[in-house]
Amino acid sequence: MTAAETPVWVPPTWDEVVREHADRVYRLAFRLSGNRADAEDLTQETFVRVFRSLAQYSPGTFEGWLHRITTNLFLDMVRRRQRIRFDALPEDADDRLAGTGPGPEQTYHEMHLDPEIEAALDALPPDFRVAVVLCDLEQLSYEEIAATLNIKVGTVRSRIHRGRVMLREALAHRAPGIRPVEPGTVSLARQAQ
Amino acid sequence: MTSQHLSDEAVAAFADGVLSGLARDRATRHVSACAECRAAVRVQREAVFALRAATAPQAPAALFDRLRALPLTTPLPTLPTAIAADGSTMLATFAPAAALVPDTQLRSPRMRPYMTTAAVVTLAGVLAAGSVARQQAAPENGIGRTAHTAQHVPTPDSGVAPGFGFAR
Repeated sequence: MTAAETPVWVPPTWDEVVREHADRVYRLAFRLSGNRADAEDLTQETFVRVFRSLAQYSPGTFEGWLHRITTNLFLDMVRRRQRIRFDALPEDADDRLAGTGPGPEQTYHEMHLDPEIEAALDALPPDFRVAVVLCDLEQLSYEEIAATLNIKVGTVRSRIHRGRVMLREALAHRAPGIRPVEPGTVSLARQAQ
Repeated sequence: MTSQHLSDEAVAAFADGVLSGLARDRATRHVSACAECRAAVRVQREAVFALRAATAPQAPAALFDRLRALPLTTPLPTLPTAIAADGSTMLATFAPAAALVPDTQLRSPRMRPYMTTAAVVTLAGVLAAGSVARQQAAPENGIGRTAHTAQHVPTPDSGVAPGFGFAR
């Protein structure tokens, strides 16, 4: 075999892939699912998909690819659960809250980093939650989110808008914890940009 | 009031500071004059602020370990088929399993797999005539490093030994 004289691209080792991306994927999975057990499952499944389809991977799109896989796995999971709940199967929900891994020394805080925020996120319809998480926590642009979810940018914007309004309402009692924004100063600052 | 109220989409975009040009000027003018839209923009920003104030979770160490071990535990479901330069069809293993073994086994740079287009696509079997010579090439490239990947790659019935996209 005439081995290529021109090395095109040196793929990372699997270890490098995991080291570089696991935290990011887990963070996204956690924020989407709102609990550790699901976040771990989603992360693992994402990496299984990545591992299986590395052959199709083209350099430069890794983060976007990971976001897409994780997000779609999450939405699949939500839809599956909705079906299951609809069929009124017992155990499911409580089982997953119990989780698979956390030892007794694990504090509630490590599992639910900010219970109120998580609860508020959790209360959003999944499509809105995904848009808000990708925008405000993963800090993807509207265009990137549109590409990730395969929807129009206008749809992204309106989901983000609606999601944030619902979040803010859910957190209304926390008003003191939310930094008041002086409308005048902020819009002036924006103007200055 | 200088114009009609901002649409929901414009409120989000304005709050994020991503409007540009005329749209931004118009929104800025309107928001400075309209308390309702100003409040709507504030709600957007407060929600973002509350979200970002939440701590970022970190992946537990045990999960890291499981992820690192995936190449050892994940079967590769398909043998991709590729077209060789001479037009023959071949079963090819793109062999991420072989290339992406855990780092600990690849300390020395010399042992690190370098993947090239030719090496990545190693012949597993030759289906079309005219490429028989390639059958000898595959096993050479596949020396070693197959202990845990071999089980995932079924040997074709033809008896041609599977190759692994791996070169040292």
